[in-house]
Amino acid sequence: MAAFIRTIAAAALSAALTSGALAADGQGFLETIKRHTTLTSAVPENGDQNPYAIVVAPVSAGLIHKDDVLIDNFNNDANLQGTGTTIVAYNPATKKTSLFAQLPRDLAGCPGGVGLSTAMTMLKSGWVIVGSAPSTDGTTATKGAGCLVVLDSNGKVVGTLAGPTINDPWGNMAVVDNGTTAILFVSMAGFDVPDYRKIDPATGKPPIIAKATVLRIELAIPEGQPPKMVSQTVIADGFGQRADKDVFMIGPTGLAIGPDDTLYISDALANRVMAIPNATKATTSAGIGREVTKDGLLQRPLAMCWTPNGHLLVTNGLNGQVVEIDPANGKQLYARWIDANKAQTPPGSGDLFGIAMTPSGDGFYFVQDEVNTLVVAR
Amino acid sequence: MSESNGSGMGGGGKCPFATRRGFLAAAGGLIAAVGAGPNAEAATDTKTVAAAKPETIVEPFWGRHQGGIVTQAQKHTYFAAFDLTAKNRAEIVELLKTWTAAAAQMTQGKPARPIGSDLSVPAGDSADALDLSPARLTVTFGFGAGLFVKDGQDRYGLAAHRPAALVDMPRFNGDQLAQNLTGGDLSVQACADDPQVAFHAVRQLARLAYDVAQLRYTQTGFLPNSPEGTTSRNLMGFKDGTQTPPEKPTADNPLSRDDVVWVEAEGGDWMRDGSYLVFRRIRMALEHWDRTVVDFQEQVIGRRKYSGAPLGAEHEFDPLDLDATDKEGNPVIPDTAHVRLAAAASNDGAQIFRRGYAYNDGTNVTAERWPPWRQGLEYDAGLLFLSYQKDPRTGFIKIYENMAKLDMLNQYTTHVGSGLFACPGGPAEGEFIGQRLFEKA
Repeated sequence: MAAFIRTIAAAALSAALTSGALAADGQGFLETIKRHTTLTSAVPENGDQNPYAIVVAPVSAGLIHKDDVLIDNFNNDANLQGTGTTIVAYNPATKKTSLFAQLPRDLAGCPGGVGLSTAMTMLKSGWVIVGSAPSTDGTTATKGAGCLVVLDSNGKVVGTLAGPTINDPWGNMAVVDNGTTAILFVSMAGFDVPDYRKIDPATGKPPIIAKATVLRIELAIPEGQPPKMVSQTVIADGFGQRADKDVFMIGPTGLAIGPDDTLYISDALANRVMAIPNATKATTSAGIGREVTKDGLLQRPLAMCWTPNGHLLVTNGLNGQVVEIDPANGKQLYARWIDANKAQTPPGSGDLFGIAMTPSGDGFYFVQDEVNTLVVAR
Repeated sequence: MSESNGSGMGGGGKCPFATRRGFLAAAGGLIAAVGAGPNAEAATDTKTVAAAKPETIVEPFWGRHQGGIVTQAQKHTYFAAFDLTAKNRAEIVELLKTWTAAAAQMTQGKPARPIGSDLSVPAGDSADALDLSPARLTVTFGFGAGLFVKDGQDRYGLAAHRPAALVDMPRFNGDQLAQNLTGGDLSVQACADDPQVAFHAVRQLARLAYDVAQLRYTQTGFLPNSPEGTTSRNLMGFKDGTQTPPEKPTADNPLSRDDVVWVEAEGGDWMRDGSYLVFRRIRMALEHWDRTVVDFQEQVIGRRKYSGAPLGAEHEFDPLDLDATDKEGNPVIPDTAHVRLAAAASNDGAQIFRRGYAYNDGTNVTAERWPPWRQGLEYDAGLLFLSYQKDPRTGFIKIYENMAKLDMLNQYTTHVGSGLFACPGGPAEGEFIGQRLFEKA
């Protein structure tokens, strides 16, 4: 999926240039991106659909080679959301894709079962941690609270984390990984989210429930043993979350931890990026934190990652663009149409979830949710 | 089946309605009464037909290959799959004998069985094609895996003769197969230039199978009346069938149609000169497609919509240049364009011979599988995909495995029915279809 993007990408870029003064000065990352190359289908043998999270493996361990791209699937083969159970691994060296893990649909310790979400990471110690935001019929009418699942590097489940602070781990994880200890930041978007058919008469849509949180989980990882939760703290709360017939639910999705200990959060429903200070140290919730940027090129910001030059890339849920933001001043630099699939209106709408930089920092991986593919932009 | 045998099946004695012509003559004035034109009369038996350019309305039934495979596509098809309920192999042999005889008659424009003169019993033929031209009717028979093994049971002692190529179809990405549109122990593909003639043929055969085989599913299909020498457009508005194996190898294609279609010695005696039929009922999200801008439709297909030319070329039959790139190195024909993924060059040279039809089964409530996940009353229309090949493992299955995962067109299409059938070589006059299989077994 590349040539058809060309025309639109050029148009989008020129549109972005008019709105982002810095672009002309050549200070952004997106201006270096020229090509999009489809790498693989993310669909494993069992037919799971809807790729969500992307994680680039930091180490080789078990079935995984360093720099492999792990991708999880949110839907089963009938395309029901919250029912996907698989993680595939794409090896950039061999260009082969293989099944890394297939979790049981029902998993003890995971309320509601397994439907793998955008929350996933692989630690330097080789453990993989992935979120479940499950349903049985593809809608929030049957959603469960889910859990975080811990897998070894051979794809075997070794434990789960669940409890009152965990309710549909949803957004991509921000991680501080020190080897024998690690800190995870995970957004929870399921608290009191109702059946999608419950409509707010004022808006004609399901009600927005301002109960989404960001949970910080501190892990100890003894040599040769699975990670153990040492403590957990809600460091942000009050973000909007809403059931949705088409996309299951909408809530805070992108998380990225900065070098100054600021955690950035994409607040999808409010169409903004927020910042929480002292993220690894805070002992209480900062609420929704400080607004970094809002609206403009953002169109329901979802997944988020860092560029080598210290900018944030945020994917848009309501079109196929990725937006580059300078968090230091909150300026939106560019929007690039990375999924210009005109099968949707606007092109690429509803298609982008996971995003991750390549190990060398020369581009980024993203998933095209609508066609179940992994693409690299360079 | 000879005409005298046909008369004999009518219940004994000479039957005045042994042929359509006989019936019409006996009915006296019926032609005028129903307003049938010269073609109707011409169709009443082969002698009259012969005077009216038989090659235009009659396709051969007996021969090395079954009709309806490389026969120039008729305008209509009626496809049927059957489940066998026969108690033993002898009943199947009897059925195939009966079907062969009836099909031979019908392709000549005659009733499946003599109609008979006794009005107190059901007639030998339903008579809905009585005054119609044979309309180039072909009837193509196929054997599904269930003839050989079903639910692990060797019901008819034929398991040892199941060809290796008659595999269980793998599950493909995106498959949404309905069980009542999938599988089947026997298949019948009736094609004709008149939809009523095609339906008539299957209807008679189904009736002759009562208590031995029962219908599992049926599917109608049609082709547009495209101008002579042009490639037909499918319901998506694109020319469909530009890339097809040529009758003889060309500089661009080392395989002829015969190379692609016909089983040779590897199929054993009974499949020699036969072919494997892959059936797929492919529903198109036409409402979604109609809302899609044309230039993107062209990127999805990899061809220009109106001219049929490959992207980057000017004319319909210009070769696909899969290596062409723009100045930034992006491919001119996208990585995931339909024509790229279907091309022999993308599949180690694999090719199939497509003989598909459009289908239109009205509307029903459905939920699209792709953003924006539209739901509601939508056309149940699309492609009745029929393809022939010498081995599905190196044909359809090989080609579609990758397409099912990557083809951009998958956002608009859903495979809801599927079947694979071994179509034996054609019967010599006096043989029945598949006879060499049963002689061997």
